[in-house]
Amino acid sequence: MTSKIINMADKLRDTEDQLLEAIFQSESIADDGFSKRVLTRIRRGIWVRRLALPIAMIIGGSIAVKPLSQLVTAGTQLMMAVPQDLLDIPASWIPQAQMLILGAVLFAIGMFSVRMIED
Amino acid sequence: MSGAEDQYLVALAAGSQDTAAFGELVRRHQSQVRNFLRKLCGDFTAADDLAQDCFLHAWNKLQTYSGTGSFIGWLLKVAYTTFLQSKRKSKRYKEILESAGHTADAEGKSYTLGSEDVSDLEKLLAVLGEEERAVMIMSYALGLSHREIGEATGLPVGTVKSVIHRGKEKIRTSFDIKDYKHG
Repeated sequence: MTSKIINMADKLRDTEDQLLEAIFQSESIADDGFSKRVLTRIRRGIWVRRLALPIAMIIGGSIAVKPLSQLVTAGTQLMMAVPQDLLDIPASWIPQAQMLILGAVLFAIGMFSVRMIED
Repeated sequence: MSGAEDQYLVALAAGSQDTAAFGELVRRHQSQVRNFLRKLCGDFTAADDLAQDCFLHAWNKLQTYSGTGSFIGWLLKVAYTTFLQSKRKSKRYKEILESAGHTADAEGKSYTLGSEDVSDLEKLLAVLGEEERAVMIMSYALGLSHREIGEATGLPVGTVKSVIHRGKEKIRTSFDIKDYKHG
């Protein structure tokens, strides 16, 4: 008797589930260029990401070149103004110091650009 | 549609940024994702826009798919998250609902019933809360297992079962679905 009740309950539940499935059922949606549109957006995004860094570097570099050259000139003049014996470094080091400053500034600009792009 | 083929395509797409492989995944699953979002939103155009966003997010987050569950389960999780995010972002959402004549309640029901020409499904979905609607659609429209629904919604399997039970109870009290005729 109990098993009959359980079976009946299962049957009722199944019928209800089947009815719900029938109500919820829907036909498969045709692609109609949907996947093509998605891929176009993805490929566009890839290109934007590829081009963003070099473009940012070029723009950043072109903006920074004038103040950078002024900075390097000022730095060189400062180096020259300091008495040689106080510095106690060979004269051949001065161009290397300039290069180091230039490298550090470029590195900072590059890092800043990358962070901007990532954000 | 085999899960193994999906895994292979995911590996190709994620490993070597193969857009063609991802395109195949989009073609395979676009119907289910769009169906899910269309039923969830009630607005076909908005749902298709969300579906596009969903696949873009899926492409960007493909590395996070562990491969342990089904790909469609993971994809529907992305779709559901995309839907919830867009809903949160949209400040005009409530205004649009109100202008469409819908009475949204605190539980997050948001299905538009402005027109008299609404389907049986739309009537059923309107009585459900947002979470119930998502779970019921996944279960009855897409035929996902409770485990897959759990993966997609982030709910434990037990909670999925109780959400379905609650949803059915609400439908039962609001409609006499025994009268429903197929077709």
